[in-house]
Amino acid sequence: MEKENFEKKLSDMTKPEIPDLKHEDLLAGAIINAKDKSIVGWWWLSAPAFVILMLMMKSVFMSGTTLISNIHEMESTQKYMSIIFFLISPLILIIINAFTIKRIHFLSGSPKLVNFLGTVWYNVLIIILSLLILIIYLF
Amino acid sequence: MKFPWFKRIGIFFVPSTVPGWIILLSGIVFAVYSFLDIDGRSHSVSDTLMNFVFMLLIIGAVYSLIAFLTSRNHK
Repeated sequence: MEKENFEKKLSDMTKPEIPDLKHEDLLAGAIINAKDKSIVGWWWLSAPAFVILMLMMKSVFMSGTTLISNIHEMESTQKYMSIIFFLISPLILIIINAFTIKRIHFLSGSPKLVNFLGTVWYNVLIIILSLLILIIYLF
Repeated sequence: MKFPWFKRIGIFFVPSTVPGWIILLSGIVFAVYSFLDIDGRSHSVSDTLMNFVFMLLIIGAVYSLIAFLTSRNHK
């Protein structure tokens, strides 16, 4: 009797089954989060991009001025605004998106570069645009 | 507090709860106030539009940041 119970216990004892892989959920969550972050990034980049576009138009229509000189003129009149939109927000966006890309790369188990870039291309694009805005502002 | 307040559709965060709608309406009211304020101080239509679009982008950026932070599931 005792032996039978023991055998029954043994047959009941199986490895715990995990129907859903936890890391798949993590990866899906990270990709959705990255997409949401990139949307916020686009909004925060749109303001300096708009200003740069307006200053480019100003430099075209006003002879004797350049984009760089117009940016420096704006910097002297609106110091805090220019620092927030041309320095702080691009820097923060670069850092956040770099960490997001690193996290997705880690969770997806180092996939092929083409497949990986297909997933995170919007984050890469935000980093490139942020760098462009930083370069225009600093030089 | 019940989250998420917003759900994302394309590049916009659409409110899904009452606090979300309050935030969106506040943004719209502030945008209208900004337009009237800028229009009162500017000298031409293009002057108004250029300054208002910039203000609208700032409002959109702040709104999207708030929406992003309140659209995550806090488990």
